[in-house]
Amino acid sequence: MTAQEVRLCGLLLQEHFGEVVEKVGTHLLKSGAQNLRTIIHETGLSVDLVKKSLCVLVQHGATTFSSGRKGLGSPTEYHTSCDRILRILRYPRYIYTAKTLYGDTGELIIEELLQRGHTTMSSTVKTVADRLTQNMAEGRTMDYTEVSSTFSKLVETHFLQRCPPLPGVGNKDSSAPIETPATPGTPAAPVNTAPPTPESFPECYKVPSVTLIGRGKRQLASEDGEEQRSAKRAKMDPETHGDEGIYWQVNFERFHLHFRDQTIISAVANKLDQTSSEIVRTMLRMSEVTTSPMATCTKPLSANEIFRSLPPSYNILRPILDQYLTLLVDDPMEFVGKAGESGGGMFVVNLHRALANLARATLESVVQERFGSRSARIFRLLLRKRHLEQKQVEDFAMIPAKEAKDMLYTLLSQNLVQLQEIPKTPDYAPSRTFYLYTVNQLPTARMLLQNCYKTVANLIERRLFETKESKRLLEKSQRIEAILASLQASGAEPEQLTEVEEMITAPEKQQLDTLRLHINKLDSAENQVDETIFLLESYINSTNASS
Amino acid sequence: HPSAMAAHGRGQRTLSFTMETVKGDAPPPSVQQPTPVFPVMEQKPLPLTGGEEAEYLLALKQDFRGAMRSLPFSPVLPVSCPDVERYSDKYNRSEQMDKLLDWAPDWKRFPRELRVHVRKPARDSQYTLYSDYTPCNQVMMKKKGVKDKEEVLLKLESLEKKEEQETSEDEEGETKKKQEEEEAEGEEEYDEEEFEEETDYIMSYFDNGEDFGGDSDDNMDEAIY
Repeated sequence: MTAQEVRLCGLLLQEHFGEVVEKVGTHLLKSGAQNLRTIIHETGLSVDLVKKSLCVLVQHGATTFSSGRKGLGSPTEYHTSCDRILRILRYPRYIYTAKTLYGDTGELIIEELLQRGHTTMSSTVKTVADRLTQNMAEGRTMDYTEVSSTFSKLVETHFLQRCPPLPGVGNKDSSAPIETPATPGTPAAPVNTAPPTPESFPECYKVPSVTLIGRGKRQLASEDGEEQRSAKRAKMDPETHGDEGIYWQVNFERFHLHFRDQTIISAVANKLDQTSSEIVRTMLRMSEVTTSPMATCTKPLSANEIFRSLPPSYNILRPILDQYLTLLVDDPMEFVGKAGESGGGMFVVNLHRALANLARATLESVVQERFGSRSARIFRLLLRKRHLEQKQVEDFAMIPAKEAKDMLYTLLSQNLVQLQEIPKTPDYAPSRTFYLYTVNQLPTARMLLQNCYKTVANLIERRLFETKESKRLLEKSQRIEAILASLQASGAEPEQLTEVEEMITAPEKQQLDTLRLHINKLDSAENQVDETIFLLESYINSTNASS
Repeated sequence: HPSAMAAHGRGQRTLSFTMETVKGDAPPPSVQQPTPVFPVMEQKPLPLTGGEEAEYLLALKQDFRGAMRSLPFSPVLPVSCPDVERYSDKYNRSEQMDKLLDWAPDWKRFPRELRVHVRKPARDSQYTLYSDYTPCNQVMMKKKGVKDKEEVLLKLESLEKKEEQETSEDEEGETKKKQEEEEAEGEEEYDEEEFEEETDYIMSYFDNGEDFGGDSDDNMDEAIY
């Protein structure tokens, strides 16, 4: 993991879990697997705080622990990975996707799981039902069974999965007798070094039978804190629902597959038209179950099959479908490929090709937006022709020599273009050497991804700065809002309300408005950079898988 | 060119000569200082995409951040000896305590060593919370009751000591605790007592008794083998 990744992870941890967790998390990221004692020693935090922070990190899946890496009986070691923490950036998108697929209930289920980390189905269902009831009209409530069924659907479609049983805790007793025959003196072979993937357990997507009867409860708006406290305690009462000990987590990989499909569909819609995107959507939906997550392309589908599966509302006739498929296959973006002639033509969606081409388009547009369209022309030219001499670049791009040189050098200094030298003689004499310019897509994408991480970290930093600058003002407005709310609840006179409202002066109000505008812009920008991050990460991961 | 001579023969070498020798034109002069913090933007950036989806994502992001603050997942540094005692201190602290108490993790899913004993504010009685636990903890409760007065005295003493104590001692206690736990899993209860006398550390902490539920499970498993 790079310095940029660690910096961004630190900021994300700080924003969501506070400074203490940030300190422990960043320390673990920088130092790799460590045991509790070392962490306490090296962070200089109190034992209690470190323990608590580790609990929080483990609860949210950011830290894993394993024992016995350095032989039997060695202390438990904690390991934190950047990947999981960087997902925090994408949380809004997961929640939004759940909303589009499964409505408000789905949205709240995912949100609850992301907020609380690993939780049981019964507690999630209860909280979600309560929250939904809260937002419903007076007198209406949300039934637990309804939320349960949405939860089950999310599990069926693999958007949720069980947390894998813990290595070392659950299996400790069972693995101990197996270990004993090994000679105790020699450091035993590393046990449980890599935590098992959730999918390696057969019950990963099995919903337990849960006995949950009841409806969401409306929390009464009472000022009496004690009453709320007792209600809270009642909620924590050990009721059994039959799913104790079974914890759930969000399956980010599944969401990413969905995002990937959506990206491809919308790219087709932008490049060609709506109808072709619907055809690709149908193809992707048909192969959702049959295609493995890491496959380079979908299983071949015949034109007949595709035709039968098209929703009738699209109104696409058979000959038109054939024309569209031919068009898609001929398109230079290569979203759809032809795998054979049988069954009226066999077609596949080139998943990895599509990702590579979308990543390339992203690189091109980055060059275009930062260095102008003529630099982008040179960049595209190099991508297509692979290796070109300076003279050839000038000629092919049809740009005057002096300007072309300038642009090439700028791109070279930004590491977007590479220079390769091929000597004619072994002495590397400049006069007898070819200097070829080239673009390496994968390393460039990696570099751009790091830039994106840096960008987001800068955006967060700026947002924190802006908030800090107007801390006093924000606190004041919060206080006044609280007073207004309590006054309204107690049925105060309108004059009284306006009086309180006027405690914020006009210039202060203006200042608050600009602050809010800036913060919204920065937040939105973070969301949108993450879309680029997603595309680049998917592309880079896809090349790892296929090589 | 001497530097060119020195570097040759290696496949992946950097350009060690100026571009002048190649085409007679110099590349941009090499930069020695770090790049400016806010470089001049030559191209105006594109506006952010707006629309309903972007707005909703924005709202989700901000709500999520707000919600995380009200959840008990942010341990805070204890305020180190405030210069002046403030009226608000009392409220700030009690708020934090409440949050910490709200989270009752399933300790079976965490390493044994992490079980944090949440410090109870002194004014809350220790026993109310025990009331809804299983009878197997009653022995424990009784013991606590007897020791109550002793504890207060010990605590005062320990606070005095603490100032002199070095952190290394704390750690020693920590490792000792770990070792002992591993060695004598079955005799947890006994150990616990011993620690109270030895380290002064755990005394002031509230043990919610869930360890014992977990332990009895473990013991059951052991008994099978």
